[in-house]
Amino acid sequence: MAATAERALGKATSRNGERILGVLAAVALGGSLVLSLVVAPPDAVQGEVQRLMYIHVPAAWLAYLSFAVVFVGSIGYLRTRKTRWDRIAGASAEIGVMFTALAIALGALWGKPVWGTWWTWDPRLTTTAVLLLIYIGYLSIRRISDNPSRTARWCAVVGIVGFVDVPIVHLSVVWWRSLHQGPTVLRLGGPEIEGTMLLALLVGVAAFTLVYAYLMTLRLRVGRLEERAAREALSPVVEPPVEAGV
Amino acid sequence: MAPYASYVIAGYLITAATLGGYTLGLFARARAARRRAEAIAQRRHAR
Repeated sequence: MAATAERALGKATSRNGERILGVLAAVALGGSLVLSLVVAPPDAVQGEVQRLMYIHVPAAWLAYLSFAVVFVGSIGYLRTRKTRWDRIAGASAEIGVMFTALAIALGALWGKPVWGTWWTWDPRLTTTAVLLLIYIGYLSIRRISDNPSRTARWCAVVGIVGFVDVPIVHLSVVWWRSLHQGPTVLRLGGPEIEGTMLLALLVGVAAFTLVYAYLMTLRLRVGRLEERAAREALSPVVEPPVEAGV
Repeated sequence: MAPYASYVIAGYLITAATLGGYTLGLFARARAARRRAEAIAQRRHAR
């Protein structure tokens, strides 16, 4: 099982796999753009501004996925002490921070015309801001590199503990009275959203997932190259043997 | 133009700029790391 996963990861992170993922992600993003801006009808209440949901929701879901990968990578590192797990967790955290920041920015853009404000200290928004801060902190810890194995250990602990906020963010609209709307897709009783709108949303999620996979392969390659550069800089210089009589 | 269309356009542009900018940034980081490693290795061989 682990060997199969390793082989699949190896194939995906090869230069060819990276290129194929890039093309697939670009095509999926194009399809998602057409579905969300042309095919899906405007919302009966919110009008055109609801189209922001087709990128806001996938960005938020991909942030969850990214931090779930950080969680798995952190557990993997603590169990095996293999740097590969730490590299995967670090790469996913960076991408997750980008998706979280994007989800917050898009939510603010939607909030201004619909709620009349860019930002409010609503449970969903506040817990998401906390999530962003947790993983910015995680990335800051990664830069403390006086002892790489200690840094990886600290990061693994933060990666596991920080993930606790993900279900809190998701369920905040159920647990507390919130201005943010409740779940419309992942809810008991099935999605309560019109068919074409649901299709546009799901294609958006699929496209963002492919973008995530592509960015992961690229970010893992950057990690490997940066480690190689650091190894070259730190490896001892082999002095040529001193000739007799010199 | 539909009301609030500018918010939708801004949202899609921000998304394109974020994803595109991050991807290009990763390419630049990969190029810089490769050059750094090669430069160090070359200096070693020159000694």
